[in-house]
Amino acid sequence: MAEVDFERRLERLFADAPDLPDAQAFAQRIEGRLDRGWTARRWLLGAAGAAGGVIGASQLVMSNLFSQVESAEQSARALGQGIARVTPTTDMVSALSGGYGVWIAVGVAVLTMGFVLARVIEEI
Amino acid sequence: MSGAKPTSYASLHDVELCSYSVAGERRAFGELVRRHGSGVRHLLRRMGAQASLADDVAQDAFLAAFERIAEFRGEGTFAGWVKKIAARLYLRRLQREKRLSAIAAEEGPADEIHTDGDADHRIDLDEAMKGLSPAERLCVSMCYGAGLSHGEAADALNLPLGTVKSHVKRGLEKLRARLAPGNDARAGEADLHGRRSNG
Repeated sequence: MAEVDFERRLERLFADAPDLPDAQAFAQRIEGRLDRGWTARRWLLGAAGAAGGVIGASQLVMSNLFSQVESAEQSARALGQGIARVTPTTDMVSALSGGYGVWIAVGVAVLTMGFVLARVIEEI
Repeated sequence: MSGAKPTSYASLHDVELCSYSVAGERRAFGELVRRHGSGVRHLLRRMGAQASLADDVAQDAFLAAFERIAEFRGEGTFAGWVKKIAARLYLRRLQREKRLSAIAAEEGPADEIHTDGDADHRIDLDEAMKGLSPAERLCVSMCYGAGLSHGEAADALNLPLGTVKSHVKRGLEKLRARLAPGNDARAGEADLHGRRSNG
């Protein structure tokens, strides 16, 4: 029993450590190092995102995407004409078949990429 | 956890601060360091580290803890969890410097511990720890300061379990004799007398 009591006392003595005079400075040093690591990580992620975006955009340009989109537009136009025979013409179908489709798609893609990048930076 | 950041973290419990830290709140983790930094540094000094090395290892331990904060499940205390990380980092440092095996084998009297000497009970323990051999000091600090079991300490020190148990037993016997009530004054007088006769 005395043995257990002494062991508990010893644990208390170990746990009950008073603050060192430079405790505040020590904590600030660690916060500073965490902040520096965080900033470096953000820059690294941003750079990686930008590099990935450039590579992705160049791949899109080089893969004849725009000619494929044009043929898709022709299909959409034919579809629109078909629908126009059945129902009254809508603005959306005419906008898509009028050459704006590519720019809307690009705008949506850029917005989506921006949201994804911002979310990834927040998460990591 | 709520999404809003509190204006002051000082009033929050350790578990809440850990939750904020998991979400990447560095200020919340800073509050944890403010609360437990001294405890971790004292432990490392009691394990035998010089003050500057103890601060270095403690800093690395807190940075490692922040990286791994999501692994802390709140089963024990945050302080205990960080102390275990710090103790293992210190042993790794000793291993890297090839000093661990020498310390573990050493049986002679311990080196002086550098203390700031500002609290009676801490002086008692620190003074008493000076009477232990380096191996006994390491084993006792790891088991009673860092909260490791004898088996965990044996693994970390790369020593047989029996050896760790005997180091702890001998260390406890010496500490009990030094920390016994009424022994403080005698120990102080003996130290003073020893210093006078040496000097």
